[in-house]
Amino acid sequence: MSQPLKCSLCEEAATVHLSQVVHGKVTKVHLCEACAQKGGAMDPAVFQLADALTTASPAPTLICPQCGFTDIDFRKRGRLGCPSCWETFGDVLGGLLRKVQHEPSHVGRTPAGASPVGRLRRRLDDARREMEKAITGEDYEVAARLRDEIAVIEQQLATS
Amino acid sequence: MSVEDILAAENELTHLLGAQQAVVLSTRIRLARNLEGLPFPGWAKIPQRKEIADQCVGALEALPKFRRAHVVRMSELGDRDRAVLVERHLVSKELAAGKSGAAVISRDQTCSVMVNEEDHLRIQVVKAGWHLRGTWHIAEQLDDALGGSLKLAFSDRLGFLTACPTNVGTGLRASAMVHLPGLCLAGHMDKVSRALNQDGLAVRGWLGEGTEAAGNVFQISNQQTLGLSEEAILKHLGGWIKNVVEQEWNARRKLAQEEGEKFVDRLSRSLGLLRSARLLTSSEAMNMLSHLRLACDMGCLPEERRHLVDRLMIEGQPAHVQARAGQELDSDGRDRRRAAVVREALKDFPDLVPPSA
Ligand SMILES: [Zn+2]
Ligand SMILES: [Zn+2]
Repeated sequence: MSQPLKCSLCEEAATVHLSQVVHGKVTKVHLCEACAQKGGAMDPAVFQLADALTTASPAPTLICPQCGFTDIDFRKRGRLGCPSCWETFGDVLGGLLRKVQHEPSHVGRTPAGASPVGRLRRRLDDARREMEKAITGEDYEVAARLRDEIAVIEQQLATS
Repeated sequence: MSVEDILAAENELTHLLGAQQAVVLSTRIRLARNLEGLPFPGWAKIPQRKEIADQCVGALEALPKFRRAHVVRMSELGDRDRAVLVERHLVSKELAAGKSGAAVISRDQTCSVMVNEEDHLRIQVVKAGWHLRGTWHIAEQLDDALGGSLKLAFSDRLGFLTACPTNVGTGLRASAMVHLPGLCLAGHMDKVSRALNQDGLAVRGWLGEGTEAAGNVFQISNQQTLGLSEEAILKHLGGWIKNVVEQEWNARRKLAQEEGEKFVDRLSRSLGLLRSARLLTSSEAMNMLSHLRLACDMGCLPEERRHLVDRLMIEGQPAHVQARAGQELDSDGRDRRRAAVVREALKDFPDLVPPSA
């Protein structure tokens, strides 16, 4: 008989074996009863996460100076220790984020009253989209105005 | 006691305050937010969790939206009260399971903010029916107000920083609770569910992750939170919900047409059974109430009865049944009590007529 599989999330013996199609890609995950119950079972994102975790290195190599969290802790829990962990584990997480999220950087809202850069990025994103729309709609006057605005924002972002 | 107040109060989901609709039961927006400089709840020590709770609850109570809000601390609630809040989707199973979690729930129960769940703050806004824009708008305002009074963890590149990489960026989970008896009866639900999965949407059961889809009720939500603007996330979900609603109506009409009398017979039997059962399990009740809701949507029962069906779906859940009875009940006791409540509620329901929709 073959070696029993271990749970991708906690290393108990896996009893639940699932494969799911996520964004056109088949992902296989093995979970123990407890982890499957706890919620992984229908959440494709958790599968991808578990998948990425199983390929991580076994020895602790990183520790968050702010909260003492290590990459081993992350592998066990699938959650980070504190907001600063995002900096500490940035490189490790970069690859993971591409798997889980497909896009590497934020284009959404910013906290009220914070991050002018974020606001600029958001406006840039909107302006680019509007410009595309204007071009499709053959509204070249609007498209030209947006092109100029985009150039200004890009300039501001480059110097900020 | 706060949970009794919550149960007794007229509110969005059980009292038809929002617009009520066929197919989409409710629209929900969730935003994950964290305070800068403090560990996430799962890694925080007890005194830190207390500090987080104090800061967050204090900031929330100061907002106009939460004037006279219910503030419930999990450590102060018994098992049944916590289960009631979970059944109402006001708090998650995870929050209810821990000791240091709290929730601030607006008077009308449209807004509830969980404190010390996986993230410091989980802002939730829910509206009955399909109201993606309106629901989002309220969440956005709450987020702005909180961002004004609390220092939120944010990075220009990664957006709002969260404990789990699946939430980072917008921290936004937008979802619709949909009732899909037509697609289920027609055997198309697997196919629909796969299509949604492939395009980045998650499909879950009535009570969230890992639960069965009792009563043909499903929760459909976005997965990706990074690299898409809130606008794009909402548009993507909105487009799919519209598509699913259309498919559901097509399936219903086709069933009604092809099955003719059998269609009404099936729904009538459910009404008959609900009206005469002496013991009713929760999933049995859900599945038959689903038929009654379908009957209301299709014109087999008067449409204005639908809100009563929705209410029974929520209030037929185990903790709600016990809370109403004012006592702990064993499984048979709950089934007996549930049957009695349903019998009473349906006693003056008219007989079904052929579908008009
Ligand atoms: Zn496990
Ligand atoms: Zn940390």
